[in-house]
Amino acid sequence: MTALSDILHLLVTANLWQATLAAAVLLLLPALGGVVSERSGVVNIAMEGMMLTGAFFAVVADLALHNPWLATGVAMLAGALMASVHAIVSIRFRADQIVSGIAINIFAAGLTVFLINRIYGLQDVGHVTQSELLPDIKVPALDQLPFIGQVVFQQNVIVYVALVLLVLTHVVLFQTRLGLRIRAVGEHPMAADTAGINVYLIRYGAVITSGLLSGLSGAFLAIGVANTFVPNMTDGRGYIALAAMIFGKWTPFGAFIACLIFALGEAIYANNSIIHISQYLLSMLPYLITLIVLAGLVGRSIPPAADGLPYVPGSE
Amino acid sequence: MGHKRYRFLGVVAALMVLATACGGSTPSTTTKQYKIGLVTDIGGLNDQSFNHLAYVGLEKAKQDFGIKDDVTESKSGDDYVPNLTHYASLNYDLVIGVGFLMAEAVGTVSGQFPSVHFAIIDGAGTDSKGNDLKHANVESLFFKEQDAGAMVGVIAGWLEKNGKAKKNQHIIGAVGGISIPPVDHYIAGYRWAAKMEDPQINVLVGYSNDFTDSAKCKTVAQSQVQQGADILFQVAGGCGQGVLQEGTQGGVYSIGVDADQKTADPSVIASALKKVDVATYTAIKNVVNGQFAGGALTFEIKNGGAGYAIDNLTVPPELKTELDKIQGQIQSGALVPPSDKTW
Repeated sequence: MTALSDILHLLVTANLWQATLAAAVLLLLPALGGVVSERSGVVNIAMEGMMLTGAFFAVVADLALHNPWLATGVAMLAGALMASVHAIVSIRFRADQIVSGIAINIFAAGLTVFLINRIYGLQDVGHVTQSELLPDIKVPALDQLPFIGQVVFQQNVIVYVALVLLVLTHVVLFQTRLGLRIRAVGEHPMAADTAGINVYLIRYGAVITSGLLSGLSGAFLAIGVANTFVPNMTDGRGYIALAAMIFGKWTPFGAFIACLIFALGEAIYANNSIIHISQYLLSMLPYLITLIVLAGLVGRSIPPAADGLPYVPGSE
Repeated sequence: MGHKRYRFLGVVAALMVLATACGGSTPSTTTKQYKIGLVTDIGGLNDQSFNHLAYVGLEKAKQDFGIKDDVTESKSGDDYVPNLTHYASLNYDLVIGVGFLMAEAVGTVSGQFPSVHFAIIDGAGTDSKGNDLKHANVESLFFKEQDAGAMVGVIAGWLEKNGKAKKNQHIIGAVGGISIPPVDHYIAGYRWAAKMEDPQINVLVGYSNDFTDSAKCKTVAQSQVQQGADILFQVAGGCGQGVLQEGTQGGVYSIGVDADQKTADPSVIASALKKVDVATYTAIKNVVNGQFAGGALTFEIKNGGAGYAIDNLTVPPELKTELDKIQGQIQSGALVPPSDKTW
């Protein structure tokens, strides 16, 4: 019972929700990438690999250039490069998109470790100094608001960027002609093609966007949250983002809510030094919450109709 | 072709060893090149922690003894058995497994290859329930992490007691990876020594449930800072980078683990050292000198296998005196840091 009251006590602290939002953003960015990619009809489970690649190149670039913004750009490009491999394999060569995604995830894990050994030998990758990190920014005035101020307006710069991207993705997908085209290509590519939409171009763009977003998340992890690269540091976030995308029914805000739920479990667990319960029991919490939400609230998730199907012009 | 020639050379080398062994007093002018296989844990060689240190020990042994060294990095727990088996089936002279998590795999493979020597850092060759199988061909390299933990605990407790920390509310923290014996030994020693220095101290102990993901460790560290902790001891390998990072961002001190982590973050005031390089080197030396023996070898402050480093902190003379005093008492056995998990 003390554990329950400990948790309830935590739930009303701004600290907890501040940590939740930051953790959610690490998941949100690749999840948004997944939404865009799959809405265009390309199954993308390669976010993990793209994020890991981004994290690695963010650190390499930051150590070389001493500029977190350029490093973030490099990370996004690295993510996009990985994504374009997935795009070419699955769009141009019509290979199985799941297999291609898994291949990229495994490849990224190997590539990053291989490159560390090539670039740094077996020494430390090295540590980014404080001034070379993506900064935390307090939004003037707004950060003084009670509760919300700390939760939303005292965050890393990437958190604000991610929230803007969340709204942007929603608006583009559902309020613009481009969004309509993306969705058309993902639901019925032949109809879209007949209507004069370049199916391949849209799909390439969507998959590469997922790479840019995953790379951004990797940069946030490596040079925002941490200050170095550790092999496999993404620790399955790309897969959790995938789950968030599905729980969110392939919508940006749905995915965001799912990310918040996952991140809340994580943030509660992080307080295990002050919650009086076995840490093993507590570590089940994120998954328990997931199960409850999945079983009770989500209902059936239906992917875009042409998700995962390569488009062959002239055939249904 | 090349393979056959090597195999032939191997036979010759083996015969020569046999010959010298039979000769008894013959001086060891053997040309045998010892083959040592190192299998890392999932942290890999770049973990800036114990896998890396094992490699450092291996390299030193290579320089001193001219051994042939090979390394395989495990990508997941499923790789342990195949990686160990690979070297064992090639009849390596010593196969080293790095890390507590490999105990069961070493137990399995050492049973299948009774003529191959194994060494394991932080563990023994066990069955699936964690019981030591006591295979005669397994040398267990254990550490008294509590010795190293106690030394940094002295620093933390002394700073709190004398108002030399950042907030001085008599609250310090420790962030462990997973609650496994090596991690808990460190924390037990840290907690014990800090309480000895500063009886009013409150030691927050949290776990990240992870050894690689720095974001997870950082949130645990943040939670402790919010509770008033102003010295954070990371015992979570690569994950712990997040703790050191929170040191600077949260405006508190941090303490590194295993290797000297001075350069990892400006907030690192000290590191608890576990000299995995010394242990690895010793295991190889034993094989080369024909002194390999199954059972446990313990590395501690007394034999230079554990210790501490002062990092980004100017140590007041009083603290230095205290550290020397405690270290002396641990060396002499007058003080015995506990290893039990009592929190």
